[in-house]
Amino acid sequence: MASKRSRIPLIIAIIVVIAVIAAGLGYYYYTSKLSPTPTITPTTPKIEKVVIGIVQPLTGNYAIFGQEAVNAAKLVVDIINNELGGVRSLGGAKLDIVVEDAGTSPESARLAAEKLISQYHVPIIYGAYISRFTLAMGTVTEQNKVILVTDALVDDLSRQGWMYFFRVAPQASSHGVSAVDFVLDEAKAHNVTIRTAVIINEDSIFGTTVSNGAHLELAKKGVEVLAHISYPYDITDMSPIVDQIKRLNPDIIIAIPYFSDGVLFAKTAKAAGLNPVFIAGAGACGFTDPDSIKAAGDAVLYYTNTYSYNPAKPTDWNQKLVKEFERRYGKMPTEAAGEMFYSLFTIYEALEKAGQMFPDDPLNPDHLRQAFLSLDLSESNSIAAQLYPTGRIKFAPNGDNLYAGTAVLQVQLINGTLTPVVVWPQPQAGVQAIFPRPGT
Amino acid sequence: MTPLDLLVAVVQQVVDGVFLGLFYAIVASGLALIFGVMDIINFAHGDLIMISAYFTWLLSMNLNLDPLLSMLLTLPILFLIGLGIQKGLINPVLGKEPLIQIAVTVGLGFVLQNIALGYFKAEPKGYPAPLFSGGFNLGPFVIYESKLVSAMVSLAVLILLSRFLAKTKLGLAMRAVTDDRASAMLMGINVGRVYLLTFAIGMVLIGVAAGLWMEMGQVTPYLGTSFSLVSWVAVALAGLGSIQGLIISAIIIGVAQSLGSLISPSIQMAVVYLIFFFILWFKPRGLFARR
Repeated sequence: MASKRSRIPLIIAIIVVIAVIAAGLGYYYYTSKLSPTPTITPTTPKIEKVVIGIVQPLTGNYAIFGQEAVNAAKLVVDIINNELGGVRSLGGAKLDIVVEDAGTSPESARLAAEKLISQYHVPIIYGAYISRFTLAMGTVTEQNKVILVTDALVDDLSRQGWMYFFRVAPQASSHGVSAVDFVLDEAKAHNVTIRTAVIINEDSIFGTTVSNGAHLELAKKGVEVLAHISYPYDITDMSPIVDQIKRLNPDIIIAIPYFSDGVLFAKTAKAAGLNPVFIAGAGACGFTDPDSIKAAGDAVLYYTNTYSYNPAKPTDWNQKLVKEFERRYGKMPTEAAGEMFYSLFTIYEALEKAGQMFPDDPLNPDHLRQAFLSLDLSESNSIAAQLYPTGRIKFAPNGDNLYAGTAVLQVQLINGTLTPVVVWPQPQAGVQAIFPRPGT
Repeated sequence: MTPLDLLVAVVQQVVDGVFLGLFYAIVASGLALIFGVMDIINFAHGDLIMISAYFTWLLSMNLNLDPLLSMLLTLPILFLIGLGIQKGLINPVLGKEPLIQIAVTVGLGFVLQNIALGYFKAEPKGYPAPLFSGGFNLGPFVIYESKLVSAMVSLAVLILLSRFLAKTKLGLAMRAVTDDRASAMLMGINVGRVYLLTFAIGMVLIGVAAGLWMEMGQVTPYLGTSFSLVSWVAVALAGLGSIQGLIISAIIIGVAQSLGSLISPSIQMAVVYLIFFFILWFKPRGLFARR
């Protein structure tokens, strides 16, 4: 009995081995009857989608920009995936975006970038609109060799020696320069002499950089700057500043506001009867955007501001995006949306290029970098360039766009409605700049 | 700048500062009343002004009413909202640890900010054509209509408040509770009812501040921060127990801010806080404290 029981495990083991051998033989017999399998050559894995990380301020004082930028991103991604068929050189890979809130400090922006890199392994991050947030984020993206395409404008960002940094939009200082050039161009065209100016700016690094650009340009062009006044952007009383400007009596005022302070300045200036030859905004915030016009009413009539984007540019793709943005979100796209339009399309075109140049490893950071640097986009060959004010996009080694430029919008009364219209460098159809301010 | 120009500039800033100070007095009055009577640290004060400003804006834009006129509608509604907030949120934490009160009111502030951000978005909202948007010259000085009206309305409301606290039964009850809650209870004063009505009246004062602000400026979800700070400084500077003291302290803040901007607008609030620290150094309980 005992010997019989001890043999059973052995019998089971022999049966299992015979079954395995039989199965193996059977499989070999079956597959040998199929067509000869082709020799497997190494192929690159198919890329189903490319995830772009987006870091924007969605809470806090800068949420105005972030919310608009994210809306624009969703629109562009829809178009690229559904109308253009995704990134063709990557086998039709779809674009996907993951949005993180930059929060209210450089530290929170940095953490947002870290999360995108560690959790989603994004090859490209776009953001973060606010320059000091972007500076903090850039240390993370550079360290991790992630391409950073920014919508932040402060000049210093492209002087960090970063290799994986690109900026399609114009630098902050060029906004100040454009505001001055526009005013002096118009003054010359209307035989008006401009001798003196006052500059006022909100005192963040952005406002300061734009105003310094304006100050230098005024000095270069021989206009005396009577005062250069900085103030905190959350100022609740503009009357001391307006009173000071009235006493100085300059020919022109160059103003670099944020939003609320811009409305407050315009209303206070109107109440005080301040009416110089011209009041020109710079830096794309305040005065001429739809929300500032709604809040300030005719206090902002004839004010101008510089923008990194021209919503009236008459190219097919620009008009298409503007119309679709207005349909979806009920308002005209302004600075943040415009920057997202052409930057995201530039990213798309860089991915196409990377897929053509480096089919085996297109998302390698150094390959992507080379793809960005190889871009030479113009309106005839590129959607991104059709969306850009100057119609040209080509990157310098430091990542800035060699053909960066701005547009100037002015608030005019069109059919009884306060409307922002493009007046410089090429006025939109049927429009010209109103200069000087009536009543001066 | 000639000496005469400097004198004109200084006098202009003093005048503007007085107007601003009177506005700050009404901004701080709600906080002073609630803190004084109920002994509760309301960190949501500025955000309550912010949400009241949005409420004023909504009514003004939809009914095409000047913000000052909108107050006729907003104030009764804010009174009722005040009753609701006191009953639902503040009453449960009365008498509890200060940390709990701070947590509740700070939390309320964050909720209000995010409701505003979610519903109204971040763009500034203003009434585009207020009744008092102009100005006139008085010799070399500019008088801004909106600031003059705001100062006058603030002063009138604060005088009314002072008379209310001095002459009415409810006002006397509030002062009794402020001075000694236990004795007030023993004297038959319904302290719970006093707290309820105090908070509601505080919301009405907040509504007045919001309406006056919307005549002059615009609202964003983060407006409350500036007003919270100014309110606390005014209340601390005045000390508790005197409306007149609050008015004078707020005027000190307004004039300091205006004169500070003559040096540089970037440091105007630094000047305010320097004066604040200096005064508290010598009078830690405030300039006009009764308790």
